Amino acid sequence: MADNRNLINAAKEIVSREDVKYIIGYKRGTYGFQIMPAFAYNSKDVEGFIFSPLCAKNLTVYPMLEEKLPLKRGEEEDKRKVGIVVKGCDSRAIAQIIQEKGLKREDVVLIGIPCRGVIDSKKLEKMFPKQTELADLEEDEEGNYIITTNKTHKVPKTELISDVCRSCEYPNPVIYDVLIGEKIEDFKIENFERVENLENKSLEERWKYWENHFEKCIRCYACREACPLCYCKECMVDLLEPQWVRRSVDLSENTAWNVMRAFHLAGRCISCGECERACPVNIPLMELNKFIEKEVKEMFDYTSGIDTEEKPLLGMFKPDDPEDFVL
Amino acid sequence: MDSLILLKEKLPEMLAEIAAKFTLIGPKEETGFTQFQELDDPSEINLDYLLSRVPPKSLVFQQTETLFTFTKGKEIKVETPKVDSGKRIVFGIRPCDARGYDLLNPVFEGRKEGDYQDLFYVLKRNRSTLIGLSCNEPAVNCFCTSFDDSPASTKHLDLLFTDLGDKFYIDVITKKGEELIENLSKMFSKASEEDLKARNKVEKTSISAITRKMNTEGVTKKLGGMFQHEYWGQVAMRCIGCGICTYLCPTCHCFDIQDESTLKQGGRIRVWDSCMNPEYTHHASGHNPRPSRMNRVRNRVYHKFNFFPRNDGVFGCTGCGRCIDYCPVNIDIINIINDVEEMK
Repeated sequence: MADNRNLINAAKEIVSREDVKYIIGYKRGTYGFQIMPAFAYNSKDVEGFIFSPLCAKNLTVYPMLEEKLPLKRGEEEDKRKVGIVVKGCDSRAIAQIIQEKGLKREDVVLIGIPCRGVIDSKKLEKMFPKQTELADLEEDEEGNYIITTNKTHKVPKTELISDVCRSCEYPNPVIYDVLIGEKIEDFKIENFERVENLENKSLEERWKYWENHFEKCIRCYACREACPLCYCKECMVDLLEPQWVRRSVDLSENTAWNVMRAFHLAGRCISCGECERACPVNIPLMELNKFIEKEVKEMFDYTSGIDTEEKPLLGMFKPDDPEDFVL
Repeated sequence: MDSLILLKEKLPEMLAEIAAKFTLIGPKEETGFTQFQELDDPSEINLDYLLSRVPPKSLVFQQTETLFTFTKGKEIKVETPKVDSGKRIVFGIRPCDARGYDLLNPVFEGRKEGDYQDLFYVLKRNRSTLIGLSCNEPAVNCFCTSFDDSPASTKHLDLLFTDLGDKFYIDVITKKGEELIENLSKMFSKASEEDLKARNKVEKTSISAITRKMNTEGVTKKLGGMFQHEYWGQVAMRCIGCGICTYLCPTCHCFDIQDESTLKQGGRIRVWDSCMNPEYTHHASGHNPRPSRMNRVRNRVYHKFNFFPRNDGVFGCTGCGRCIDYCPVNIDIINIINDVEEMK
């Protein structure tokens, strides 16, 4: 597990560079087990940086969210790099965005941290429902989480780890400028079990399952905002002419939105699980994304976000691509 | 009317009677969270909950409201949807969410004689009788006490049920609440001094279980002089603009109006909107007066703690804590206001 001191030292060095604007990392939040994204502009700001299995948020969403306001006369654009602390999946998001030419490699400085999986905060909150006081969580060598509230608790990792991390194939950052801590050997717990469970159900059952979830969607689009790969300048659901998806919040339009988003991430989703984590109404969005990931892998032997030089799946053609689905 | 007692074992009977005579709405758990729904089968009610995920404002200010429908062609027909006027009993609403209704009232019912009244809201509000349920065990981010309110507050409800273990203590607060009791069979008994003591003890214990506190003293005035402060930019850096805070807020009430139609027919609908979306302030000219997240984050705080008090004399916040609970990046309104208080 990464040592916070090493992380802080590396970040200090990077933030002092003249070509770096700021570094985005994690720091303690305002209550309980909360962690918040932290923007460090100088080496003092970096002091609060931490990394633990609580640091679930994929910070690579920020460079794509940065708003470039019109410059005043005589003002020049700040083209300095942005430093970001990245786990395996987060680094894949950056690699994928670079592949799609959304960012250039030289736009970012990546502090990579090998990650053994992050916790599912919903499960943690269930276990400690009254935790207002700041609390801590670390992973020990034997695969337990050591949780420090006013007492110390030992909880098996499998009880709290995020579902999406159970099938993680890239615990180590695929691209980075500095690596904090030792690389991790494969620790994958399962492959596509969650998707296969669903696949084995009948069409009617599956449809009912999704209807039950989609009818609760409030179309806040938090899934989109939390996703580092949803960075279109204008999302098609926001368009009014033509209006592809109506603003009415009902099963039909909600289904259109959720299915459409999953399709737009085909061959692009890097399985960080941010959409599912952000969703305020518990829609298991990763089951859609993982299903498509599986199809893409089986049909095209393609995995998103592992090679910045590779062409995007939907932007290339190989003569031996399968075509039996073409009518 | 005097306060009453209902034995817990009689609750299903009471709910069944309400469901038979009126429309019963209550908290129901599905897909891992609770929401307020019409209950055909009263046994579906889940009273073992803290807060519904989406606040019950959705019952009076629906996320999607059809204002009218129309047909196209030679014989144009415009119709307003029929409004159900039967009594609606909302059972199990939390006192803070009921307070949310009181904060929405001036917006939709108008502030003085002659103000526009939004009938879609007013009719739904008027046909609703609110039966509150005191919070015996407040959640992590509950802070209703910061607004002189309480987990067993009777200020905004028609009836308030407080769980005393094997029975409920019932505060009969309004005429509406009294009428409902009179409409039901005689299953209630008069509350004793002992019962009142027990009820007040529950309230006291619950109040002391609320650990988070927002310091709101003089905040409205202070914010008035802080509009240009760099603090807003700092908070907004980590905001991803997802809008969960506004969708789950019991007092956020902005909406968008759209015409949606097919070739032959259509309707004008009203849907929840969020000031966290850039589109919210996007002018037809292309100009956006709130171009960045800084402007939008600041607007949310100002609306609740500056504009609301200036318009209606109250903070636009109930202390339910939903915006803190579900913010993916830990933007914490309690901290923001406390920070503002501490700033020189």
